[in-house]
Amino acid sequence: MHVVMAIAELARILNTAPGTIERWIRQGRMPVRKKGDLCEFSRSALEKWADTNHMRLTVDLPGGKTPVESPMDSLRDAMERGGVIYDVQGHDVSEVLGSAVSRMDCIEGLENKNRVLQSLMDREEMMSTGIGKGVAVPHPRTPLPDMGIPALISPCFLEAPIDFNALDRQPVFVLFVLMAPSAKHHLHLLARLSFCLRNDDFITFLRGRPGREVFFAFMDEFEDGMLSGK
Amino acid sequence: MKSEKNQQSWRYPARWQFFRFDDRLLLIVLGAVVGIVAGLAALALNMGLAALLHFFQAWRAFWWSWLIPAGGAALSALFLLKIAKEEQGHCVPEVVDSVSRYGGRMRLRSSFSRLISSCLTIGSGGSAGPEAPVVMSGAAIGSNIARVFSLNDRQRVSLLGCGTAGAIASIFNAPIAGLVFTIEVIIGEWSARNIVPIAVAAVAGAQVSRFFRGDQIAFTHLQFSVDLIDILACLGLAVFAAAASVLLTRALRYSHQVSHRVVRLPLWGRAAVGGAAVGVIGLFLPDVLGEGYHVIAEIVEGAFMKGLGLIALLVFAKIAATSLTLGWGGSGGVFAPCLVIGSFTGLLYHHIITAVWPSVSWAQGGFFALMGMAGLVSGILQAPLTGIFLIVEITGGYDVILPLILVAAVATSVCNAFEPASYYYRDLMEKGHYRPPRTDARVLADISVREVLETDCIVVPQSMKLGDFVAIVQKSHRNFFPVVDDATGEFLGMIHLDDIREYIFDPLLHETVFLEQITDTGVETVDPDADLTDVLDRMDAQRLFSMPVVAEKRFVGMISKATLLDKYRRELMVQAQI
Repeated sequence: MHVVMAIAELARILNTAPGTIERWIRQGRMPVRKKGDLCEFSRSALEKWADTNHMRLTVDLPGGKTPVESPMDSLRDAMERGGVIYDVQGHDVSEVLGSAVSRMDCIEGLENKNRVLQSLMDREEMMSTGIGKGVAVPHPRTPLPDMGIPALISPCFLEAPIDFNALDRQPVFVLFVLMAPSAKHHLHLLARLSFCLRNDDFITFLRGRPGREVFFAFMDEFEDGMLSGK
Repeated sequence: MKSEKNQQSWRYPARWQFFRFDDRLLLIVLGAVVGIVAGLAALALNMGLAALLHFFQAWRAFWWSWLIPAGGAALSALFLLKIAKEEQGHCVPEVVDSVSRYGGRMRLRSSFSRLISSCLTIGSGGSAGPEAPVVMSGAAIGSNIARVFSLNDRQRVSLLGCGTAGAIASIFNAPIAGLVFTIEVIIGEWSARNIVPIAVAAVAGAQVSRFFRGDQIAFTHLQFSVDLIDILACLGLAVFAAAASVLLTRALRYSHQVSHRVVRLPLWGRAAVGGAAVGVIGLFLPDVLGEGYHVIAEIVEGAFMKGLGLIALLVFAKIAATSLTLGWGGSGGVFAPCLVIGSFTGLLYHHIITAVWPSVSWAQGGFFALMGMAGLVSGILQAPLTGIFLIVEITGGYDVILPLILVAAVATSVCNAFEPASYYYRDLMEKGHYRPPRTDARVLADISVREVLETDCIVVPQSMKLGDFVAIVQKSHRNFFPVVDDATGEFLGMIHLDDIREYIFDPLLHETVFLEQITDTGVETVDPDADLTDVLDRMDAQRLFSMPVVAEKRFVGMISKATLLDKYRRELMVQAQI
């Protein structure tokens, strides 16, 4: 099949500079004819030539090395997926984590819940996820991509504050259980959350144990402000 | 002192004072020796074949004579498999492979194993040629003489070339053909250093042949009267001959495939079946058996009086017989059958043009037979120079050099359109082992992954906190960090700074993120013994510029395109020097 296209286009397909293509044509090393800015060739001859010279013809790929990733979620979407849980019971770390996981609807099946719980406990053992100011961010020790759980955050307000071995030794009153299918998602959500938690107003808001609508409305506003401020 | 004495020992002539700085004289002397020995080996095969031909002649009258080639082929395959313990490879590709991948190393037993096996195959009537086995013997002789004298790879390849040149020169009494064949096909490059010893070896081989057999030309011919019209006709013949070459190549390939797929017999069983089929053809067309030199002589001298139809049949029959012999496990080369098929093709062409234009006074059939031979040989080997010089020397026919050049060139070009490479190189190309000198494949083949390994990466444990990791990043020079297991030290994955750059300044994350959570465990790794060409292909496919090298689950280093470029350039420069 006879093809006519711009040299720049051919260069893109062969992943080389247009100058290189022009030089190869001039030196007679390519089965292509030049006509001004355009070049003319037979498709089969060019494919054969590229194959002989170990060159790949990139037709679609714009050049990225990873396939298109799912876009990063906002905190609000992640929290909506996780769902806010109130009055989580328990006297110590393992009890509250257990109650929280059992009440999280986003994790289906007893087997899955046990697996998640185990991973959360493993992580706690490495180091407490109590980051101070009464907040903890329990998350699995390593991302669990094969469970089919999307990125989510589950804000869980405890019935009563407990000692979480937090960095600042303060008792923890709210858990943000964070699940992510990959390290990138995890870091993204954690970074956003950490930004929110730096703000003392947010902490005060949380201590008031706001209802769902209020909570999400606040999150929307806060996140918009965060993004525009950035 | 003892070491001084060792240096001067006869086993290390390369270190003698005389040869110390310039080994050219050494190679010339050894080349002559190799040429003589290779020439003797070629002579031995020739005489063996002549004897066997004579021996079996008496038995050809019997009805069961078709079993003789079967028995011969089976014995030959058995011998190779059980006694010589060699693989059933083709001779010339193996020699070329040895030159390009193993620095010319060949086993000592290759010096005689193929001689014996091809003697059995061809002597019993199989349609194959003694040239390829003789080339392999000569090459092995040269290679092992080099080993005895502890020469390096470059010198060994030269002596291997001397062996092949001496062998071809001896078997055809054709020194130029020996030289040209070696340079064109075996070594692949004209290098000043190689040409003189190889030429000397070719002369030595030819001398050996003349000493024992007298200075005879293989196929003397009558003087041909060649006009312009004949030269024009040769163009048509070249196309004819190219068609025959392509047909032969395809038939050989097809025959080989069929033998492997259809028949569930051991190797010697298949060889027997192939041989039996050849024997049956031979019952009706005895000209098809053996290497066929006597048939060629008859044709060239103009004594072959058969009709057009029979000759056409003979062309196809010989192609079939050769494919059955070689494709089904017999041992031998394709050279001599090419000459025979070429003669038949030329003769056929002559008959055709005489029938179509009877008023024109064409040259004799023998002339077209010569041209046909040149066309076939050039076409199948895609080595026009070898074809030209060989025909000139075996027929003493320098007077027909003009049409000869034409036919050889045209046949090569036409064949090249259908078959991408010489019959000898095809096997190697399919396996990806074809590495002519100074090509990308050859340069990369010589560089190993270990040579381009970069070991300045800082390895980090999986349990490290992000905060501590940031301190490591501060003092490193790289963007990639290998992560290992705390307990076992095994490689787990890589951390790419690009992926985490936007998060590493958050103090909260410093305290809550551990490296194992941000390690990319699905990263592609390279084995230190991997082929560099494969590694580069993988890098290209995934658009990576560097990859980790992991041996037995332990991180060894990184391999990157940037360092490779440096080494590649230097390697190419070193390889390209004469």
